[in-house]
Amino acid sequence: MVTNGGSGPALEFAGLTKRFGDNVAVDHIDLVVPPGSFFGLVGPNGAGKTTSLSMAVGLLRPDGGTVRIFGRDVWADPVAAKALIGVLPDGLALPDRLSGREILLYLGLLRGMPREVVLERADELLRVLELDGAEGAPVVDYSTGMRKKITLATALLHSPRLLVLDEPFEAVDPVSAATIRTILQRFVAAGGSVVFSSHVMVIAKGKVLASGPLDEVRGGQALEDAFVHIVGARAGGTEGLSWLAS
Amino acid sequence: MRRATSGRRWIGVALLALLVTLLAVTTLLAGLVRYRYPGAGADVVATLSLGWLLGWIAGPLLTGDDAALRMDYFKLLPIPPGRLARAMLGAAFANVSLVFSLIAFAALIALGTRSGVAAALTGVAATALDLMLAVVASTVAIAAFGPTISSRRGRDFGTILLALTITLLSLASGLVPLVAKRLTDGHSPVLAAVVRILPSGWGAVAVDAAGRRDWGLAALALGGLVALIVVLVVAWPPLLARRLTMSAGGGRQRTHAARTGEPVLPSTPLGAVIGKELRLYSRSVLRSVMLMISFLVGVLVGVISALGGKTEGLPFAGLLFTVIAAACFTNFYGDDGTSLWLTLIVPGAERPDVRGRVWAWFLVVGPAGLLITAVFTVISGQTWSWPWVLAGEPALIIGSAGLLALIGVVSVNAPDADGGPSPARVLKTHLALIVIPVVTLFPAAVLLFAGAAGHSLWLRWLAVPVGLAWAAWLCRYSVLRAQRRLQTRGPEIFARLRTS
Repeated sequence: MVTNGGSGPALEFAGLTKRFGDNVAVDHIDLVVPPGSFFGLVGPNGAGKTTSLSMAVGLLRPDGGTVRIFGRDVWADPVAAKALIGVLPDGLALPDRLSGREILLYLGLLRGMPREVVLERADELLRVLELDGAEGAPVVDYSTGMRKKITLATALLHSPRLLVLDEPFEAVDPVSAATIRTILQRFVAAGGSVVFSSHVMVIAKGKVLASGPLDEVRGGQALEDAFVHIVGARAGGTEGLSWLAS
Repeated sequence: MRRATSGRRWIGVALLALLVTLLAVTTLLAGLVRYRYPGAGADVVATLSLGWLLGWIAGPLLTGDDAALRMDYFKLLPIPPGRLARAMLGAAFANVSLVFSLIAFAALIALGTRSGVAAALTGVAATALDLMLAVVASTVAIAAFGPTISSRRGRDFGTILLALTITLLSLASGLVPLVAKRLTDGHSPVLAAVVRILPSGWGAVAVDAAGRRDWGLAALALGGLVALIVVLVVAWPPLLARRLTMSAGGGRQRTHAARTGEPVLPSTPLGAVIGKELRLYSRSVLRSVMLMISFLVGVLVGVISALGGKTEGLPFAGLLFTVIAAACFTNFYGDDGTSLWLTLIVPGAERPDVRGRVWAWFLVVGPAGLLITAVFTVISGQTWSWPWVLAGEPALIIGSAGLLALIGVVSVNAPDADGGPSPARVLKTHLALIVIPVVTLFPAAVLLFAGAAGHSLWLRWLAVPVGLAWAAWLCRYSVLRAQRRLQTRGPEIFARLRTS
């Protein structure tokens, strides 16, 4: 884990606001995600999840309010804040004529990591995420699930303290979802924090919008049932990645 | 909306039909014209027949296998391959394009009528055989290359081929009169021999021979056409069987392993961006096509005019290549779409990203531009042009490299809905064709023209260091401004890509 950096909540929104014309997409949200939590933003499409998370990682400038990552203001001190996070956005492009390994090497070096470390971690990530069979293929030939997994690998590569994941399970097959879930659980067990959004978890008894720590949102059994429904099958992702632990 | 799209399609089809009719009638008239040089008529008709045959073969490959009876429809039907092959070959003759081709190939009949009844009748036979060859060759070509074309890489190949064709057609206005003049004057026996030796020229050879009562050659040429058609018809069923049992996905493209050998580039953020960009230059279809067009236009414009005896333009081929290659790459961030997020989430990545893109473009275009300039200037023998090209080319390369970064962050044009360049992006490219050379070459050009007007050689040579100094300053200034803008306005640039 990255041990340098600030302290305080893993993620903190204070009065976060975003408007698109007359439409208020995010309306003065206050939110505190404690370190070490597996935190879900749950709601239907258009609820403002992606907008909120985009503002949290520096991809969308808020109209008002602040976002802090372990006490570092994302918009006032972006270099320090961005060093602490790994990001999996939903539906954004990758340089898809590169192979998965080449994308990881590019991003690792861009972050200033030593080449040997990047290659070693890339090997492990590709193996654990079961992408090693396609490592020579360009990402343009990947399936949706494989794209999700290689993007997760880019988020984990530099061993961040907080993972911000936008719809990590959408359009992912149950086996891949199980692998992703296992890796995320290991990441949290090792002291990392995860914030993720999902619209597929809002089910029969779920509210239109529900966000909060996992234990609170779980309430009855709805969220757990949804997880079981999504992952269902054999879980990979239990090997390697010792560097994720502190 | 749908009606508008349908209307536009009909206008497009009507224009295409008009264009093809004009081409067909022109070909027919070329057979009727009387030429001063004996045999020139056969040479011209043979050349035009080559064009029509290539159209039959390349057309379906470029536009995709969208015939009414697609081969893939029959994949799962229990029809013996031999019977299916014969049936599909027969169906291929039900094609409206045959009407246009009949008018065009009738140039062979027109050519024969000038030499008597026997030659005209030979022309009739040659026309029929050329039509059969066109249909059979086209059908076999789809079966031979079809599986590749339906894959992604095949489509990439088709895109590149289409761009190549359009580029060559745009240059044809210079090339066609030159070829026509050489053929009709009888100045190019090699060119005439080539177009006659190719199967597309055998019909014209037969008619020409019949006109001279050389019955042996006439029979040989027509017999050759028959034999070729038979060979293609025999080769067709096995090719069809292969086509129907092949996966449409084609082979997966393999990339080179990232860790083979020692890295050539430094293992730094800047090295990472340069490496990524260089890989994309060699693998992205859009980038390959833009580089190919720049090269072809830059080089061929000079070469075509040199073939006509004017070598003054040759030394400037490298400059033309560089200007086009610069104008095409004025949309660094727009062309990459939303993958900009990778740069924005990495702390401090804006600086190496801008510099890496500039270096990569410089490394791809710079050496090629300098090499073309040096080689063509030497070949041309235009020694007066050395100060002009040495003041121009390096300044153009260095100045453009920086300008591209600045234009790329100030004017961001996201790809169209279908992934192609938007109209605004095309307009920007056209404007850049003028703006980039004016901005990068302004100081050097002033000295060069002043030196030329005042017959001052040292003033012309002074343009070399002045041009370089200006370009270096321009590059540095533009790169710093681009970095600053990406650092301060990165999310806004990203928003334009995301919302498009």
